This record gives sequence, C-alpha cells and structure tokens, in this order.
Amino acid sequence: MTVQSKSRLSFLTESRVWRSFFRHGWPDNPLDRSLTMTSNVFFHLHPVKVSRKSLRWSYSFGLGVISAILFAVLVITGVILMFYYVPSIERAYPAMKEIQLSVPLGEFTRNMHRWSAHAMVLVVILHMVRVFYTGAYKPPREFNWVVGVSLLLMTLGASFTGYLLPWDQLSYWAITVGTNIAGYAPVAGPAMREMLLGGADVGQNALIRFYTLHIAVVPLIMIVAISIHLWRVRKDGGLAANDVAASNRAANPKAK
Amino acid sequence: MPDQSPVTDEIFPQHTNKTYALVELMHGESPLVGKGPDDTVFSFPVVLLWEIVLLLGVTLVIFLFSLFKQAPLEAIANPLITTDPAKAPWYFIGLQELLEHMHPLLAGILIPTILVLFLVALPYIDHAREGAGVWFSSARGKRIVALTALYTVIVMPAYILFDNAFSLRELLRNSAPQWVAQGLLPALIILVINVIPLLVLWRWKPSTREVMLTLFTILLVSAVVFTLSGFLFRGPGFKMYLPWQMPNGYNPFDGL
Repeated sequence: MTVQSKSRLSFLTESRVWRSFFRHGWPDNPLDRSLTMTSNVFFHLHPVKVSRKSLRWSYSFGLGVISAILFAVLVITGVILMFYYVPSIERAYPAMKEIQLSVPLGEFTRNMHRWSAHAMVLVVILHMVRVFYTGAYKPPREFNWVVGVSLLLMTLGASFTGYLLPWDQLSYWAITVGTNIAGYAPVAGPAMREMLLGGADVGQNALIRFYTLHIAVVPLIMIVAISIHLWRVRKDGGLAANDVAASNRAANPKAK
Repeated sequence: MPDQSPVTDEIFPQHTNKTYALVELMHGESPLVGKGPDDTVFSFPVVLLWEIVLLLGVTLVIFLFSLFKQAPLEAIANPLITTDPAKAPWYFIGLQELLEHMHPLLAGILIPTILVLFLVALPYIDHAREGAGVWFSSARGKRIVALTALYTVIVMPAYILFDNAFSLRELLRNSAPQWVAQGLLPALIILVINVIPLLVLWRWKPSTREVMLTLFTILLVSAVVFTLSGFLFRGPGFKMYLPWQMPNGYNPFDGL
C-alpha cells in the first residue's frame, strides 16, 4: 500500500510521531476507543465502558467531577497569586492591596480563587451527601468512601489555612476563633493549637505555617488522594449505578 | 418450587449440556462472550465530552461570579481590636454555634470527633450490598429521610431558640456544677433528640441502611441548621438577630 492511497487521517495516525505519542489508532472503533482510555495516563482513571444509567445527570449531578474541576481552578489561580503574595505579616496585606489595585486582573484572579474555594467546600459536601443517599459507600466501595471523607477534611483544611493569608481583620479573627476551638481538647488541645500556630497567638509563625500548609502540604496530599479516589472509582466498578444495571442483566457466575 | 432465576439466565444459560447453541448474527460493536446484553457505552468520547461541558460550565459560572462579586478585604489585621462579631469561616460556624450551647470540650472536640468517626465507620457498619446505586435505596428509605428531615428541621431550631432564651448555663449557675449544666445535660439533650426518631423507626423493623439514613439525615440537617443559625442569625456579640435587623450595619455576607 502506498502513502498516496491512504486517507489523510491514517497518514497522520500512522506516522512515526503520532505513534510515539499514542499507542492506538484514531478512536472510531471499539478497540481504539478502549486503547484510548487504557493507554493514556489521564484517561486511564476512567473505565473503558460505563453504563448509561451512571451517566444520567439526575443520578450524580456531576458533583465529583465539579469538585475536581474546582480544585484545578484553585491550583491555577493559586499559583498565579503566589507570584505576588508574600507570607510576612508586614508585607502580606500590602501584597493583597497590590493584587487588588495594580496587578493586571489581580483582583479578578483573587475573586476566582476565593469563590472557587467556597464553592469547592460546598460541592464536596454535596458530593458526599449524594454518595451517601445513593448508598454508594457500600461494598466494594468502603475504602473509597473513607478516602472521600479524608478528602473532605483536607478540603476544609486547605480552605481554612488559606483563610488567614490576606492578613486582614476578617481572616485574623476567623483563624483566632477557629484555632481556639482546637485548644479546647483535653491534654493535647493547647499543644495542638500551639503546634498549628507556632506560638500562643496568631502571628508571623502562624502565617508561614498556614502558607506552607496551604500552598504545598495540603494540595500535594490532595492530588495523591484525588488520584487514588478517581482510580478506585474505576477499580470498584464505576459508579454504584452500574451495580444496579449489572444485577438487572444476566448474572455471570464467573465474574464478581 | 417456582423458578427464581432471572429471565436473562434462561435466555443466556451459563451451564448447559447441549452441544449446540442458538446463535444469531447481531448488530453490535464488541464481542460479548458469556454475557447477556448490557446497557453500556464506551467512555470515549461520551464521558470526556460530558466532562468538558462541566468544565466549561463551572468555569463560566465562577468567571461571571468573580466579575460581579468582589472578594472581601477588610482593614489590616490588628490583634488589639477584636471584630464584633468574630466569626469562624462559614464551614466551621456550625461548631461555633454549638459552642454557644455547651461546654467547649463537648462542642469543639467530642461531637466533631464522633461525627468524623461515624462517617469513617459508616460503610463498615452498613455493609450489605442491597440498595446501592439507587437514591434513598427504596421508596420506604425516601419516606424515612423525608420524615427525619422534617423532624430535625423543627427540633434543632427549637433547641437553639429555647437554649438561647433560657440558657442552661444561666439557669443552673448556682444549683449545678458546670460539667452538669454545660456538659452532661446538653449531651443528654442531643442524645435524646437522636434517639427519638430511632425509637419510632424501631417499630418499622428497619434495616441497617435505614438506621444509617436516619442518623445521617439528622447529622446533615442539624449541620445545616447550626451553620445557618451561626452565619445568618448571629450579629454583634454573637447574639441572635433577624438577618435583616442586624445592628451597626453588620451584614453576615461581608464575611464570606
């Protein structure tokens, strides 16, 4: 077969460069559609096939996907803000003013970061509510539910640590009130509070600790946990709606 | 004995002694050996298109919201001037509201710990596979959730208002030690509020799932009630006001 007899598309998909990127042909047939999902690091978190029922909007409301999207928006806008923000009690507030007043699209970027953060806390909670009420925590998904609960706690942690960074009255007193609650724990309470704040009060040590937790520690752990969470959805048989579809069709005694 | 096997098992028998099979040429995409008809589609491209639509939609909403609503930035943090009211971020304000009604150890530590442990243990307590993948698992489950939500939405605000009007702390200041007035009694009240719907449910011979539906609904609705109470109905001095009658021009939404 000569090159001229091939269509332009197959000329592309069979080229040396394309084949080095993708180990499959153009995804217009079952085999290549499967390979598209299994041979791509991002796509392989998805199952190759999904039941129509689990795609229904009224089943999941897309809340898990929306959480992941908001997380991505937060990472991108957060990195942009990091170019201007300085985690020092003398310079943090002036940096906020600068972002607000003189950085091109600075205020808009900060707005997006803040509203996405609030939205993410809300959406993650709603996602948990959806998973609970659809019974999707039941076996074999118990472990993924636990991963999800820890992701909820990390989302709260990420939001709470970010709350202090503007270093205005609102953030200062919200963190003071919030960390005081931790101090009420018996025995370990005051020590826990002091470890979080790096001192008795909210000051420079607290700011640098919250900043480091906010921009590095919590997001990195979350990226790993989100990856496990998504991958486990596939490993546990997709959305729980699949189970219903599965029990309605012929039960295969060999498959689990 | 009537045949209990699903109808698909008759159409697609797994184990037969026949040496022939009923075979028909079907229009389809993939070989489904040993399986009955399923209702699945390839993830590529349906799921990805679905995710792109969500990505565009979510970003658009955040975009528009950020254009019109500015993130708050108050005066620079000043440890010497306490804001009035000093509120935690909205997702912790339910705990702050709880602190108004009972001992910090109970409200700030014990109850949150019990809630997190409940969430983590949930799939290991309710481990039956039945009822997964369906909203509220059954029509009865749906009714249980609706009734529990109605019950909680009446009882919890009543508790908040009652305790706000006749504070146990003040009533028993001279007649009972603090751990009774602020610890034991509120804990008992919360326990009784949780047990009443379970006792009612007991007459219906509930499954574990239905007990969990009840407990989770109490937890969820209570969290919403306490958060709304703390966020919307608490003004200067953390005293109760109607949201539209806040003194000193205080607007709860300025603190988002």
